[in-house]
Amino acid sequence: MARLMDMGLNQLNTMLLDMSSLSQTAVAASIDAYSKGGRGSEVRKMAERLQALHRQVSDLSMEVIARYQPVASDLRFIKACFEISYGFFRYGRYALDIVEVLEIFGDLAKCDRSAVVDTAKVTQEMIRMSADAFARRDVNLARKIPAMDDTVDESYRNNLMKVMNAKGNLKCSLSGTLILRYLERIADHATYIGESVDYIVTGIEPTA
Amino acid sequence: MKLRRVVSDKLWTVFTVVALGLAIVPLLSILFDIASKGISVINLDFFTQLPPLANASGGGMGNAIQGTLLLVALSSAIGLPIGLFSGVYISEYGVTNRYGSAVRFLGDVLAGIPSIVTGVLAYTLIVLTFQSFSVLAGGVALGTMMIPIVSNTTAEALKSVPNSIREASIALGIRKWRTSLLIMANAKKAIATASLLAIARITGETAPLILTAGISTLWFSGFNQPVGSLTYYIYYFGTSPYQNWQNMAWGAALILIAIVLGINAAVRLITRGKKAYA
Amino acid sequence: MLESVTSLDVEERQRLEPHDALETKMEVVGLDAWYSTKQALVDVNLNVRSNKVTAIIGPSGCGKSTLIRCLNRMHELVPGSRVTGSVLLDGKNIYGSDLDAVDVRRRVGMVFQKPNPFPNMSIADNVTAGLKLAGVKDESSMKEVERRTLERVGLWDEVKDDLKRSGASLSGGQQQRLCIARALAIEPEVLLMDEPCSALDPTATAKIEQLITSLKQTYTVVIVTHNMQQAARIADYTAFMYLGKLIEYDETTTLFENPRQELTERYITGKFG
Repeated sequence: MARLMDMGLNQLNTMLLDMSSLSQTAVAASIDAYSKGGRGSEVRKMAERLQALHRQVSDLSMEVIARYQPVASDLRFIKACFEISYGFFRYGRYALDIVEVLEIFGDLAKCDRSAVVDTAKVTQEMIRMSADAFARRDVNLARKIPAMDDTVDESYRNNLMKVMNAKGNLKCSLSGTLILRYLERIADHATYIGESVDYIVTGIEPTA
Repeated sequence: MKLRRVVSDKLWTVFTVVALGLAIVPLLSILFDIASKGISVINLDFFTQLPPLANASGGGMGNAIQGTLLLVALSSAIGLPIGLFSGVYISEYGVTNRYGSAVRFLGDVLAGIPSIVTGVLAYTLIVLTFQSFSVLAGGVALGTMMIPIVSNTTAEALKSVPNSIREASIALGIRKWRTSLLIMANAKKAIATASLLAIARITGETAPLILTAGISTLWFSGFNQPVGSLTYYIYYFGTSPYQNWQNMAWGAALILIAIVLGINAAVRLITRGKKAYA
Repeated sequence: MLESVTSLDVEERQRLEPHDALETKMEVVGLDAWYSTKQALVDVNLNVRSNKVTAIIGPSGCGKSTLIRCLNRMHELVPGSRVTGSVLLDGKNIYGSDLDAVDVRRRVGMVFQKPNPFPNMSIADNVTAGLKLAGVKDESSMKEVERRTLERVGLWDEVKDDLKRSGASLSGGQQQRLCIARALAIEPEVLLMDEPCSALDPTATAKIEQLITSLKQTYTVVIVTHNMQQAARIADYTAFMYLGKLIEYDETTTLFENPRQELTERYITGKFG
């Protein structure tokens, strides 16, 4: 027999899956706009929608806690929902930040965007992995994310070095740096989401 | 159909009322008969004088009243404590071992023995030994009869005390015997009731007394001597051909019924509106 | 990752959860219990920690009440019951020949599911019943015990003017606190509570729960409850029992957040059977 709480938990799960696909689309759109020179105007709507969904997830989580006093895997799922929902919300927010950078800097067609685009590919893969790990409660997949985070961090550091050594076009390096910074933040959230999936399944909380 | 149900319902009510009437009419007629015939001989002399000679006038049932009271007192002194404590054993100790049910069974057997047989027992043990009818023999016979009545009703009374009270006491580290006393205190009304009913029951006994206490026309003169009793005198005078003795028997019957009814009234007073264990 | 989440370091954790430093008050070792031929407990092992609240949860008939009743030798009162294994109280087997059941029960008090004040006694006499019935005569100290104990359970202000009234005249929650006072009056070391709130309304339950939490400063408390949220609220340690076996025993937060046994998980999340 289905428990009353399951209705709430299923709804939370559905909302998170919606946020998962929406945030992937938003990030992809922002990267596309950067690499192919678009405006990415649809990203703003997506980011706003993600923020609204995040609030709804928080409200519903609180309601389920108040109504049913969940324990064990139910409790862990709800605890993780906050973190995961926040992660998806941030994906959208950083996608919007990237689009805003593009609005400020205008045409970047002359810049060498390969390093940033490469990093973006890694980051997008991390997003996909975090989303899949959540959807399938796949601990093994979730545990692969942190290693990729190191790649993104390294790329960000290298870029900073390059900028400090004052090589190249200021507009290009500044926009690249900002976007890399957002990608780095996205990668962090992908890591957090992976940890949350791990926590749901195993109960092991992230240590550092 | 509805009519049939209504009619059968009414018939049922009528039937129960008629049955009640059939039960009450003899009872009331006995009471009325005894009261109307007995009241004429009740006066101060009836309580203070010895029985009259046949066809004489005056006299009383003083020694029989004295004897009955003595027999009841002695049998209570024997039957109540033994009955009470075997009741405690059955309820508080016998549950956890197999002796309890054995004691219980023996009690039921003892309760089922006809009173005359109990009389024969006391006759064999005491009357034959001392070569005389005696108060002692009567007391033992009646006391023996009381034991199963008191022990079974006491056991029931104690068992009606909720087990939670017992557990509360034992969990406080209170010893078993002290806990038993606590349980008895909680059932004291039920136990008092049981004791009084047992007394009322044996007060009306005649058969065992014929074989044990015997009869005497004199006042009490020692526990090893026979003694008169109301029941024996009712039988003895009632079956005699003399008018004045028959009148005395009616008076004795009235007093006896007054005693038994008095005890029952006391029981009513004790148990009125209360839970058995409170 | 650039920012590191601040977290307790290992030393800090040990300071907050001094696992090894915890004193054991009672230790259940290989305990089996029977009702006639039916085995109610199967090889139960459990450490009851000093000055903590330990809750025992589990479905009806899992043996949780039997277990708690083995801790003060109340189980043996049931005709045909039997116990093997040992229960150590401060390291001494309460089933050993050198300890008397009566002494064990004076050191390990008990409160029952249904409030059971002695109906023929006043409120005051109920509190001191354990002392008086054990032969303590000192009348002057009784008044002191009455006041101190009733204050301890938060009942003094409610009943101080009616101490001579029957204990049965109180409300259910008050009766239960009176029963706790009665158990505390003989100054036990451990207090066992067998579903003490199951007959009470939420307000009375909340009062008892607050009381239990305050009691652990002085006593070691073991509580059987069918209410998991209650265990989660008040217990430091929780044991889950099923079919006479101790399935899992851990700190309450761990047991309710991340149980190790599948059976525990299914029971506490309500996915049972």
